[in-house]
Amino acid sequence: MGTLSLMGYSRVHASVREYDVFARKARVEPLRQVGSVVAPDDDLAMAYARATYDEERWVEMMIVPRDAVIRLWAPGESES
Amino acid sequence: MEPANAGTFDTLLKRGELIESTSEMTPDYLRELKHTLIVSGDTELISAPAYYLAAKKAPSVNAFMTGIAIIQDELAHAHIAFHILETLGESQEALIFKRDPKAFRYPYAFDVPLESWTELVVANAMYDQAGFCLLGDIHEQCSYGPWKRGLVKVMAEENFHLRNGRNWSKRISQAGGAAKEELQRAVDWMFPLTVEWFGLPDNLKQHSAQLDYRLKGLTNDQLRQQWLSTVVPFMESIGIRVPAHKENSHFVLDYPFPSTFDAEAKRWDFKDPCTWDDVLARWRARGPRNAEMVALFQESFAKFQVRV
Repeated sequence: MGTLSLMGYSRVHASVREYDVFARKARVEPLRQVGSVVAPDDDLAMAYARATYDEERWVEMMIVPRDAVIRLWAPGESES
Repeated sequence: MEPANAGTFDTLLKRGELIESTSEMTPDYLRELKHTLIVSGDTELISAPAYYLAAKKAPSVNAFMTGIAIIQDELAHAHIAFHILETLGESQEALIFKRDPKAFRYPYAFDVPLESWTELVVANAMYDQAGFCLLGDIHEQCSYGPWKRGLVKVMAEENFHLRNGRNWSKRISQAGGAAKEELQRAVDWMFPLTVEWFGLPDNLKQHSAQLDYRLKGLTNDQLRQQWLSTVVPFMESIGIRVPAHKENSHFVLDYPFPSTFDAEAKRWDFKDPCTWDDVLARWRARGPRNAEMVALFQESFAKFQVRV
């Protein structure tokens, strides 16, 4: 269950997850976050990512459910 | 949401740092950011039905596919803005599907029907150029990190729309005859509408919170000049007249600004100057195609609600 479903309104799909989209244009480049999508399952999330972030001919693209990411610290927070 | 420490916020802003999360914002900054994002998201979103209704008049399958590709880009750009609004606590569904048509905040120009392929490519050459100036400024200057980064994709794609508009405008102009006359007529009504797009002149706009918060970097008049400096030379280079000319380093309009516009007839009356209050009243009342375009994407949502 994604964090969005905890918000005070309902979507067409009651349960959705947020996915961050990563891609790179060339093998020498590192992966870079190019955006995010919201979808009810992995298959649709892949389709949305492919269709939405089509501005380049990426050599690699991947998506990660945001709730699977473990954040150590964020801008403004220091490592403690 | 935790209220931001105003001191920390000011320090970040003054140092030219990016704001990354709501916990770093003051309530006032958050409100101004949301407002700016809604205008941007609404503009991208409404361009889809506006362009679609004209793309149907495409002269070939290839041209139609180009039109559809542009519409797909615009929807993805709208997605970026509305998705950020969602992370800021707004409901994307409420904003897109449940708002009254008159509550949308896109430029008035889109309310005047684009009814031919010629009008669509002029929109690509002039409206998308306006979007390019406005978003390019935000992309360079914006103090909110997630939006600044999201605009990388948007700028790349707007460039493609602009190229489509310019290539086709040039081609239609070179064809001459009735085709060129139709192009000139489209520019005649669309040019002043795009000049208006940038809003009140700086001498009437007392104060801009968007500038204070570095949500944008240039003033309305600076952006308008930037737009004129690209569109006027381009139109002249393809043999199309525009009511503006260059004087020293800046561009001057050849008509009273603002003037009265008859949306149904798509005609400006340059002999009838009006006040900015008149313009604001016309914008608030919205134009002929507002309700039809919003219905195009809202209708199915109400009819087709599948809930688990």
